[in-house]
Amino acid sequence: MSRVGVVGIGHTKFGNLSQYDLGDVMAYAATDALKDAGFLERRKEIDQVIVGNMASGLFCHQSAVASSVISKMDMEPVPAELVENGPASGASAIKIGYMAVASGMADIVLVIGGEVMRKVTGWTGTEYVATMLHPEAEYDMGLTLPGFGGMFTRMYMEKYGLTERDLALLAVKNHANGAKNKYAHIQAECTIEAIADGPEANVVNTYVAEPLRMYSTCPVSDGAAALLLVNMDSPKAKLFSKKPVRIAGIASATDTHCVHNRKDPLKLEAVRIAAEKAYAMAGLSPKDISFAELHDAFSILELAISEEVGFFERGKSFLAVRKGETAIDGRLPINTSGGLKSKGHPVGATGTSQAVELVRQLRGEAELGRQVTDPKYGMAVNFGGFGNNVVAMIFAKD
Amino acid sequence: MIDFSMYDFKEPKIKAYKCEKCGTVYYPAPMICKECHSRRDPVTDKHWETFDLEGPCELLAWTRLWNLPEGYNRKFLLFGIVQFENGLRASGRLEVEKPATGMRLVATVEESDERPGKPVHVFVFKQD
Repeated sequence: MSRVGVVGIGHTKFGNLSQYDLGDVMAYAATDALKDAGFLERRKEIDQVIVGNMASGLFCHQSAVASSVISKMDMEPVPAELVENGPASGASAIKIGYMAVASGMADIVLVIGGEVMRKVTGWTGTEYVATMLHPEAEYDMGLTLPGFGGMFTRMYMEKYGLTERDLALLAVKNHANGAKNKYAHIQAECTIEAIADGPEANVVNTYVAEPLRMYSTCPVSDGAAALLLVNMDSPKAKLFSKKPVRIAGIASATDTHCVHNRKDPLKLEAVRIAAEKAYAMAGLSPKDISFAELHDAFSILELAISEEVGFFERGKSFLAVRKGETAIDGRLPINTSGGLKSKGHPVGATGTSQAVELVRQLRGEAELGRQVTDPKYGMAVNFGGFGNNVVAMIFAKD
Repeated sequence: MIDFSMYDFKEPKIKAYKCEKCGTVYYPAPMICKECHSRRDPVTDKHWETFDLEGPCELLAWTRLWNLPEGYNRKFLLFGIVQFENGLRASGRLEVEKPATGMRLVATVEESDERPGKPVHVFVFKQD
């Protein structure tokens, strides 16, 4: 297998981009990635474009978005296909791009993840996102993703002693990082007094799905992020202005569609298996990882994922958060971008956005105050469904 | 004599499945038995038994959901995951004043027309 590296990254600001066409949003991030690699003028030499998107048909009443992006970027006749894997569509698109390059079928692949969710109301958006649940056994019941987030949180609290204040500490940490990230949806810090300890906390930080509150739940965002992948063992690797960041490991795994059918609903087996495969591929272990981007659509997931990937013992991760071990200046910074909580979560873009953050950190290009000191390996976990289709990625600075 | 029974009121039910070959039970319906690999024909259910999933169960997890999706004109809904005595589990609505993990409940089935499309059958878990 050839080695695969990232030579270009692009990212729109996340937020409310509902006045824009989805193809335009994706093309904006993609042209940034091409400019970053110094390859914009030669874009027709790209062998393959892979687009990650979850639900343009529902949110934007638009299908075949890969064709739309190609045309907007004047890239015909470059081949382009769409990859859909719920909120893990972005990382799945990277995985497919990786497979294309590693197999030798392509030398240069452009991966774009994007979503415009805010053309519809939050009410309707919640309904659309819920269509990824089991049609009869979950969706028909009226359940939503926050509903499962709430039940998962309660189970975790009752078993391990996590408190609502612990979840608020995660929001404070991630907002502190997101406030410094130029791409973040919510570039504002929050204090523990405002969202947990103060007299107005119950009003400021209301329940969404008990015991999950607003500050334990990600916003609904629009945006896109893109990466240019290259075969590092090909002479074409010398065509780019930036030194490649190597994709050392990338793997995915699945779990039961119905959450209730998991032997232990608190175990995220797909996360554990995807991470183990990614570690094996990279020849690394959890202790080698310098920082991580973990899919905190609900704050509880940052904790649960950090345990499944082996950073902490089961039920102990929130104790590390209390000690500041996962803060930007901690032993193992987690969600340096602000995470989904502060940076935002345009579902199809999240995996590519996490990968862009890995590259920015490994290149040393993150903003002042949120740059990890001399990182070697970054890990990202992109979580599809309620943990039923998960992708883990490990990027390396060689 | 014309048979009008198709228009009779039918009590809402949710079905669970049992593989005739090895006896493994499922909810919701699988396409292949995980134990003996028998395939279920979704049209005829040949070689698979069905039975109504209802009755006593235990609450494993619950939440009060405030941000309901389109179609639900209510302030909030309670949801839960339960385990039946035969080991099967299900997700559904909860109508209990003070929910608590581990409490004994009874699973009932009601018709709901809140989601887009045709009315559907939903679990409503109630106090025993």
